[in-house]
Amino acid sequence: MKEKLEKIKNEILENLAKVKSLEEWQNLEVKYLGRKGVFTEILRSLTGLSIEERKTIGKLANDIKLELQENFKNVAEILEGKKSVGFVDPTLPGIKLPQGHIHPMTIVQNELEDLFISMGFMVLDGPEMESDYYNFEALNIPKHHPARDMQDTFYVDKKNDEGELDLVMRTQTSSMQVRAMQKYGAPMRCVIPGRCFRSEATDVRHEHTFYQLEGVMVGEGISLANMKSVLETVAKHLYGPETQVRLRPKFYPFVEPGANGEVTCFICGGKGCRLCKDTGWLEIFGSGMIHPNVLKAGGIDAKKYTGFAFGFGLTRLVMLKYGIGDIRLLQSDDLRFLEQF
Amino acid sequence: MYLSLNWLKDFVKIPNNISSEELAARLTLHTVEVENITDQAKKFDKVIIGKILEISRHPNADRLQLTKVDVGGKEVLNIVCGASNIEVGQLVPVAMIGAVLPNGLEIKEAEVRGEKSQGMLCAADELGLGDDHSGILILEANAKIGQSFAKHLHLDDTIFEVDNKSLTNRPDLWSHMGMAREISAILSTKFTAYKPSEKKHKKITGGIKLNVKVEAGDLCNRYMAAAIEGIKVESSPNWMQQKLIAAGVRPINNIVDITNYVMLELGQPMHAFDQKLVDKIIIRAAKKGEVLETLDGNKRNLAEEMLVIADSKKPLAVAGVMGGANSEISDETTSIVFESANFDFVSTRKTSQKLNLRTESSMRFEKGIDPLLAETALARAIELTLEICPKASIVSEIIDIFPGKKKFLSKQIQLRLDWLQKIIGEDLGKGRVIEILTNLGFEIKEKNDELIVSVPSWRATRDISIAEDLAEEVARIHGFNNIRSLMPKVEMLPPEKNEERTLERRIKELLSKGGNLHEVYNYSFVGEDQLKKLFIDSSSYLKLANPIASHQTMMRQTLVPNLLENVKNNQARFKEFGLFEVGSVFLSIDSEIKKDNQSNDNLPYQEKRIGIVLASDNKEGLFRKGKGIVELLMSSLNLEVGWKIDEFSFNWADKAEVADISVADKIIGSVAKVDNKIAKNIGLKKETVVIELSLRQLLALYKKQNVKLFEEFEKFPPLVRDLAFVINENVLYSDIRAEIINFNQLIKKVELFDVFHGGKLGENKKSLAFHVVYQADRTLTTAEVDQIQAELLKRLEERFEAKIRNF
Repeated sequence: MKEKLEKIKNEILENLAKVKSLEEWQNLEVKYLGRKGVFTEILRSLTGLSIEERKTIGKLANDIKLELQENFKNVAEILEGKKSVGFVDPTLPGIKLPQGHIHPMTIVQNELEDLFISMGFMVLDGPEMESDYYNFEALNIPKHHPARDMQDTFYVDKKNDEGELDLVMRTQTSSMQVRAMQKYGAPMRCVIPGRCFRSEATDVRHEHTFYQLEGVMVGEGISLANMKSVLETVAKHLYGPETQVRLRPKFYPFVEPGANGEVTCFICGGKGCRLCKDTGWLEIFGSGMIHPNVLKAGGIDAKKYTGFAFGFGLTRLVMLKYGIGDIRLLQSDDLRFLEQF
Repeated sequence: MYLSLNWLKDFVKIPNNISSEELAARLTLHTVEVENITDQAKKFDKVIIGKILEISRHPNADRLQLTKVDVGGKEVLNIVCGASNIEVGQLVPVAMIGAVLPNGLEIKEAEVRGEKSQGMLCAADELGLGDDHSGILILEANAKIGQSFAKHLHLDDTIFEVDNKSLTNRPDLWSHMGMAREISAILSTKFTAYKPSEKKHKKITGGIKLNVKVEAGDLCNRYMAAAIEGIKVESSPNWMQQKLIAAGVRPINNIVDITNYVMLELGQPMHAFDQKLVDKIIIRAAKKGEVLETLDGNKRNLAEEMLVIADSKKPLAVAGVMGGANSEISDETTSIVFESANFDFVSTRKTSQKLNLRTESSMRFEKGIDPLLAETALARAIELTLEICPKASIVSEIIDIFPGKKKFLSKQIQLRLDWLQKIIGEDLGKGRVIEILTNLGFEIKEKNDELIVSVPSWRATRDISIAEDLAEEVARIHGFNNIRSLMPKVEMLPPEKNEERTLERRIKELLSKGGNLHEVYNYSFVGEDQLKKLFIDSSSYLKLANPIASHQTMMRQTLVPNLLENVKNNQARFKEFGLFEVGSVFLSIDSEIKKDNQSNDNLPYQEKRIGIVLASDNKEGLFRKGKGIVELLMSSLNLEVGWKIDEFSFNWADKAEVADISVADKIIGSVAKVDNKIAKNIGLKKETVVIELSLRQLLALYKKQNVKLFEEFEKFPPLVRDLAFVINENVLYSDIRAEIINFNQLIKKVELFDVFHGGKLGENKKSLAFHVVYQADRTLTTAEVDQIQAELLKRLEERFEAKIRNF
């Protein structure tokens, strides 16, 4: 009996596999599983068996019936188009998992912090609302120094006891130079990344809120040649091993000598293109040997120690790296921008 | 500032193999950035002098004429012209086909009303030579047919534009002579300084006694003056005009031009008064209420701290900034007084800023000009005047009052060569160092390994005072790029960690990657209106003294207002989103950070906050999603968060959905839904939840916690019971949970899995359903758990009137 059941099951499944239309399927179902169907007949014949036999064979027959019904149902669904024939399109996209994004400024800042940490520089923060003293005076920029022209400063409307406006929104991360020297003395090396402010109207190229990364290194025998070497390392890290650095004199009151730093244009490799205005060079930092007055303000013996300082425009680095043309996007909340990084 | 190459060549030899581009590049690399080079001749490329041979009427247009013009080529050109002032035989500038005029007009072969035109006859304005458009520019009869127009005008100069801002420390470079000296050092070529001829300017003929008195000697370092008679005011000679134009200065008349010429040549601002309009010259502080109409036609209110030049009755000029209209040189002027002075740089700068009047003169004075230059410049002005006005003669003593003489004693600096080598990082050789400094005008005495360097007067005012300044001179003229790089040798110590920054970074990763939030950088400013709408009291907000926009006048004390703006700016495009920011806030209380080392004043308190905003069209569950993000953040940092009823109660928050974030019993922030009415009022179209917490306080708690140790797996299976209670709405989850978890030590975990309000429960009731997990170091029996649970239910009923829910 058992063999008979298995045989008929296989026969039915074989036939079912050949079915090409719903009509054929219906005929087959009636033929085997219908009220007068072949399989139904076999089940009826079980009544003649002993109780013991009925127990075992009955269960088997019932299982087979369920299996057959399941198979018939599947085939019907396939024929009705409800179910795929077993082909899964492997090129379909995955199920999308929601994901947030980090701001491009953070990405670039983190990269640079990591580089400097790897070279033994501390990463320091400083107050964004700073005293006139640390933002200017301590940096060798007394009041009414023409160098203050370079910077349109936001002053905070809160006068000190002398009736002066002595609080500013820092115009440069250099404001941390002297604080860092006062705290750590020499030898010392650190970078200070962060937000700076200049009071100017915003447009495609100008922002009153922007980011810099300041670097300071003080020690015995620190030289201009050392500064060049460190800056070259940074430039190569940013733009590849072929990158060169070009320094040219630039006046900053807090360094002497002072230099402006350019790197080989990473788009054209120095041949000249639109980005570098055909010069082959991109201006990305200011630098110089720390002025002895600044060292003194920092409580450092300028006879014994020397040092260099440099400042990168982080905003510019981000714009260059990602090809962002409009500086205002960096302070914008447009998700279409923020989602891209 | 504009520099004329021809003018520079008056003072320095520039070898033929140095092109303009090369010179500009060298200046840029060694001294100052050259922003632009203009070849004057190129300005008039393809503009040629032509002779009008024939003029006939245009057959189709009354106002037009047909001309035949000889431009010295093989063919005579046919040109259509609309001007009425042309005559046969005239010499005129002809723009040939292909010429691009200074106004941008490109000349093409064209047909004008059916007649061919092979070029254009030019009016003065079309060539960028003034505003005259009354007719074609008719040239003198001696002009050469076929000659280029630039050559005809002697416009063969090259003009360099240098960046003023990079000259703030170099008063000496604000002149052609100064820049020429610099070029001579860069190129190592010969430089010839201007020296006044001894005889000419000392010959005094007349009998005018100049009455000059310096009353404010602290603000006027030196005042020199001389009167000259026999002046005829007219146009200055061509050569002078050409140089002035090249340097970007408009010629006015011979006397004014001379003062400008001397300033551009030597760097000394000069002034000329009409001698007849000035009875005395007093250099004094302005008096309260004094008004002066300056040469630009504006009436200036003078303040007491401003320095003026006055006669016995009235101010004549704002010292170092601008002259007054009342003593201006006019066509009637026949005698003049030249002023060549040295005013205090701080005072000049303050005055110019206060009057909002920056002039070529004030820009130079505020840099700190060489006081010896006053003498040279006066001599040069007199010399030029005598040359240009043949009848002129000096009629007064040369006045020289020098109150600041002692301030400008000659300066000497010791320069040790081993120190120089150390700071540059390379030995350039004694010979090279001496060569560079000598070329720049320094005088040097050698003394063993030391140089005694005398600073020339034009560098001594504020530019060069210490050895480091000399190191810069040597390094930059030698070339920064010629110094070889060398890595510093330092101790191999790891840097001190910045824990706040490390935590900040971690939080940014968690919120973006775990919390599905986008990082935004918002401005640090807020506006009064913005705060008012959120019912935030702005009276304690720190304000900017000079804000640039009315919506950005104050420093933020919370990240919330700008985060709400972020929702408004994105709500039209996105259904559901979340943003976060880590940024500073600025409170009006004192911090512990000193304003400076000596001061007892401290900076305002500033700290970084973490701000999060969630926005959704779906009104359900956003508040709890916000809490979920905080919980995710805290559990990632191994901190346990508790929710407390808000103590600060923001005016903008929905009173029902606001909670404080409590970690280790310290409140470090809050989560709040924006009140519906306020949301509507400020234009929020979405359900909005805001979270803000203090990074600094979070760091403090994070640092205190211990390392999370591994927990062994439980060896015996737990028994989990689900319990649902009905309680009054106002009973807090946190209280019930605390009660359960602390009820018996076998209860190890309590997890809320359902909250249900109203409906069948009746008014002011809610249902809370918990999984309660019992766990022990043995197999628990149902009986003992049943017993604990029964006691627990009794306790909950006693304390909270909690009824077990059986449906």
